[in-house]
Amino acid sequence: MFENKTTGLLLVLPAAVFASVLFLLPVGILLSEGFAGSEGGFSLGAYVEFFSSELNNTVFWRSLRLGLWVMLTSAVIGYAAAFSIVQLSPKSRGRVFALIILPLMISPVARTYAWLVILGRTGLVNQVIVGLGLSEEGLQLLFTETAVFIGLLQLFLPLMIIALISSMENMPRDVVPAARVLGANWFSVFFRVILPLTREGLVVGGTLVFAGSITAYITPAILGGSKVLMLETLLYQRVTVANDYAAASVIAMILVVMSIVTNLLLKRLAKPRNRRA
Amino acid sequence: MKLGRYAAAAAIGALCAAPAMAADKTLTISVYAFAQDEFKELVYDPFEEICGCELVVETGNSVERMSKIEANKENPVIDMAVMSVHDALALSRKGLLQKIDTSKLSNYGDLFDIAKDPLGNGEAVGYTVYATSIVYRADKVDIQSWADLLDPELAGYVSLPDITTNQGPGTLWMIGKAIGDDDLSLEGPMKLVGEKADDIATFYLRSSQLAQLVQQEEVWAAPVGRFAWSRFRDNGLDMKWAEPEEGQFGDMNVMIMPAGIPAENAELALQFMDFWLSHDIQLALAEALIDSPVNDTVEVSAEAAEGLTVGADLINSLVFMDPGVILDNRDAWLETWNSTVVR
Repeated sequence: MFENKTTGLLLVLPAAVFASVLFLLPVGILLSEGFAGSEGGFSLGAYVEFFSSELNNTVFWRSLRLGLWVMLTSAVIGYAAAFSIVQLSPKSRGRVFALIILPLMISPVARTYAWLVILGRTGLVNQVIVGLGLSEEGLQLLFTETAVFIGLLQLFLPLMIIALISSMENMPRDVVPAARVLGANWFSVFFRVILPLTREGLVVGGTLVFAGSITAYITPAILGGSKVLMLETLLYQRVTVANDYAAASVIAMILVVMSIVTNLLLKRLAKPRNRRA
Repeated sequence: MKLGRYAAAAAIGALCAAPAMAADKTLTISVYAFAQDEFKELVYDPFEEICGCELVVETGNSVERMSKIEANKENPVIDMAVMSVHDALALSRKGLLQKIDTSKLSNYGDLFDIAKDPLGNGEAVGYTVYATSIVYRADKVDIQSWADLLDPELAGYVSLPDITTNQGPGTLWMIGKAIGDDDLSLEGPMKLVGEKADDIATFYLRSSQLAQLVQQEEVWAAPVGRFAWSRFRDNGLDMKWAEPEEGQFGDMNVMIMPAGIPAENAELALQFMDFWLSHDIQLALAEALIDSPVNDTVEVSAEAAEGLTVGADLINSLVFMDPGVILDNRDAWLETWNSTVVR
């Protein structure tokens, strides 16, 4: 595209400098603190100490579990929604797409506070539960893992749907009818036709949803509180209260590694299996 | 004659220049983000008119404020700050504060004794004091003791402050007193709260969050600072402020001056602190229900008193936790809390 390689490099230079100085360097310094020994030098002491705490282990597994659940659920709902949306006329598709994007324009704080009301003892969900006679009085839904799960799902589902719509729009429109005509059931159509052709969207959406879920602060803090600590809320606690930057660095590194590993696993899982070289 | 003209010209020049020179003076203060519109109207703007200086106001939480003072200790960028008394002690122990020349505070003699020297080394002066007790739904429960918070009648409808809040350790200390264990390791009350953790709706971080939970009937009782009482009193529910038999505990916010600030800024900082501690400003802040006064000459209206911590009798009856104890035990409390309560 460019006359020579230098032009391309020059054009990318400002962004590269910006990212290096304002992102990679500070993040590198932060992450390196987790490997610093108490008397200098390299040490894994902070990691050993972190994982020797029962609470930290609980928080780690809870964050991983909730991140995976949110990602899987958003993938299931996202595929159904995206598949329906791409069948619509371009005009209707645009309108529905705008509706999906709309929540992303509202502050996560406002969205999460709405859940605080909806999931409260006198909120909509409990009114339905009591109205149907499932319970005599309102249940405590807030400050539970379920509340955090619902909040995170609502927060990140649009990202999955957008990524899948983008992939499905590039999928040839006749492959699904062709598979059906050739006798494939819907299970086969999904796993052998749709999934391989939209794997890029799944990888992008899955990574965004998983990374977003495990690194979200506002939603777990408001809907879970300290009874449902997640890695991000634990990180905040370690820095602001205990001034423990080594533990904060360990948590930050865990979050980065979890996001990268999930991305790699998704790529591997979504890889077409029957392709012959 | 000629000399006289020069003198007159110089005098006129000096008069014209005076305001410009005064406006060159800048005082940088670091305060809580709370009620800044009211502070601007009641404190900052009137002070700027008096001192002919520019007031630069920085806001942020205690951690940010303390980090900034510590990071710039060689070349301070903040001339005066307000914070909790134990945060001030943390800075004092690191040698980051300077003694406050109280001889230059004309209102110093009018302060309650507890506000005069909260650190015991002359490096802080209290500017507001507040009680913490339990707000509760009088139509649902009756609170006579801090131990009532863990009564089965309140199971699922009680909220406690998180250990990381200013009210957290004090609440546990008072629960400990109620069960006959006031050891400052707080292990006894934490163990009890840990056993009842499923009955606690949540451990709140901010009084605004708690106010919403009470409003939507998620919580019936919770310990809270008096500064937030008006949020509950006027929520349309049958709310009461408890007077537990073990007493209410007190906390104080203080003014400090970082070590090493230029002498001119120190003078200005002292002038500002004296202004803030004066009868009129303390009264104005009290009537606006922002800060309870520490100036003994202030008499607030009955209406304002209902929302504040006022009166020598009440203030003298408050139980204060030694800031040194808070500082020395904070990390251990957090560890015990994490292992026995939130798990």
